[in-house]
Amino acid sequence: MATQLIKGNSAVVIGALYAGCDCYFGYPITPASEILHEASQTFPKLGRKFVQAESEEAAINMVYGAASAGHRVLTASSGPGMSLKQEGVSYLAGAELPCVIVDIMRAGPGLGNIGPEQGDYTQVVKGGGHGNYRNIVIAPNSVQEMCDLTMKAFELSTKYRNPVVVLADGVLGQMIEPLKFPETAEELAIDKSWAVCGTKETRENLVTSIFLDFDQLEDFNYKLQEKYETVKENEVDYEEYMMEDASIVLVSYGISSRICRSAVEAARKDGIKVGLFRPITLFPFPENELKALADSGDKTFVSVEMSNGQLIDDVRLATGCTKPVELVNRMGGNLITMDQVMDKIKEIAAREE
Amino acid sequence: MKSLLAPGHRGCAGCCDAMAAKFTLMAAGEDCIVVSPTGCLEVMTTPYPESSWGVPFIHSLFENNAAVASGIEAALKSKGEMGNTKIIAMGGDGATLDIGMRSVSGAFERGHDFTFVCIDNEAYMNTGVQRSAATPFAASTTTSPSGKVSFGNIRPKKNMPAIIAAHGSPYVATTSIGYPKDMIRKVKTAVDVEGPTYVHAHSPCTTGWGFDTSKTVEVAKMAVETCLWPLYEMEDGEITKVKKIKNPKPVEDYLKMQRRFKHLFTKEGGDEFIKQIQALADENIVKFGLQ
Repeated sequence: MATQLIKGNSAVVIGALYAGCDCYFGYPITPASEILHEASQTFPKLGRKFVQAESEEAAINMVYGAASAGHRVLTASSGPGMSLKQEGVSYLAGAELPCVIVDIMRAGPGLGNIGPEQGDYTQVVKGGGHGNYRNIVIAPNSVQEMCDLTMKAFELSTKYRNPVVVLADGVLGQMIEPLKFPETAEELAIDKSWAVCGTKETRENLVTSIFLDFDQLEDFNYKLQEKYETVKENEVDYEEYMMEDASIVLVSYGISSRICRSAVEAARKDGIKVGLFRPITLFPFPENELKALADSGDKTFVSVEMSNGQLIDDVRLATGCTKPVELVNRMGGNLITMDQVMDKIKEIAAREE
Repeated sequence: MKSLLAPGHRGCAGCCDAMAAKFTLMAAGEDCIVVSPTGCLEVMTTPYPESSWGVPFIHSLFENNAAVASGIEAALKSKGEMGNTKIIAMGGDGATLDIGMRSVSGAFERGHDFTFVCIDNEAYMNTGVQRSAATPFAASTTTSPSGKVSFGNIRPKKNMPAIIAAHGSPYVATTSIGYPKDMIRKVKTAVDVEGPTYVHAHSPCTTGWGFDTSKTVEVAKMAVETCLWPLYEMEDGEITKVKKIKNPKPVEDYLKMQRRFKHLFTKEGGDEFIKQIQALADENIVKFGLQ
């Protein structure tokens, strides 16, 4: 297949088109706007639907509408826009509707700025809106994965009838790398067993999240939790790099994992046994795998993140606080530097000696 | 007159927002509180720790600009501290016509004593020139691009002044940054009238519309002289004053100044669109009695 130099945000649209996504609803926000621009050009050209909404709330609820009709739907935003969408996301999860939401994270809180950050981790990974629901969350770390994992996101959202968030950041959205186009394109298939299509056979289908009876709502909540357990059993994805003999384990996702990879290579040259554990799915989080690592010997874990210690909480939970877990982070739109990671690696290595 | 918006901000040369803000402050004077959402105006005038504002400035977001203004007014009134302080919410076309519409409507319906100034540059400029409900018919933007099959934005502008007037606002006016005296007079009237008042300022954007930075005022004036942007005032829902245009210029004179309409002159079939735009101007002449 063709390989092309492409921007991360454009790669999302390519992934969506190959995944059979036929509806895009969005609202502009930096640094995610190129997804909207690209969709406004490509979707109509291919006979698919593009609508620019008047607000983020309108966009996510157009997603709710089109998803109710059984279509494959995409929207994208960034920090403040994600916050505005949360009511809709909770309703999508409550009505068990499939959709893909791309969050190109920027620095916050409040207006913050348009630099890259990973400060939406807790909001997106733990739910974000009200109620007992989870998003499935996937974190790409390259332009190639912006495309491939968007395709994967559609597969998972259809399979589990659940919102899937592709959690990326301003650097991944804006940077240009070679993209190998997908081999095959998916066709849209509408599942008429639940979708509302305006046809006789779908007339009795119901898209709702209202359960006035407390016990019925509790039963439904338990059903949702069972679904999340199934997701946890089947869909965990992660990548290990030079982990075989590592006594220092960097845990990092997204763009910061790229910096960690370079740090691992540099530290290995100095003879330090360090490896990288990169969660690709953030929900389900690879907790069993991290627990197994923690149980396998003396190790120090380092959460490397562009947020205020949000990922580190999940690393601590997964490892049961049995091993030291340290933090290397930046915020405010700043990238983590190699020096920062190397200093921490050397500090831990010196302590171990 | 001393400018309450200090120079040295980060606006583009020929920036319409800077002019609109300056004129608004000239009209309102020192005793005012400005609320303004994220957008070019806020980004260029208040990146922490800098500020160009010589008056209190509160940052909001697009969708809640008028709600924040409502809160300030309610708080000042509750303690009897309102005095002569003017509360001014300034928002772009997105923060007024699109995502901000709900809170604007709420504030006008509740009747808060404040003035809303819409700086209408007809697209979302700060995020990269995406269309808004104020983007004119046939303008090319990044989300309504002209191309092989498209002549740009397919919808006419939303008539926001009429919507505000329908809320029962005592004073609604349209103005243009090409006519500073007109704008200053109208903002002054708006802040002096009790209740929720509205000034809609047509504001050509050099970057988003594609014209030389020295031409902002010329483009603004041409919109008025071609009758595409009529200047009028409404009191209690009735049009009471209109700026007459004796010899309207053809809309081509306005369109050809701007890159966003370039396709109308280079693409086959563009003539038809220019005719439709001329028809919009002709309608304005009749509707507002411009001659």
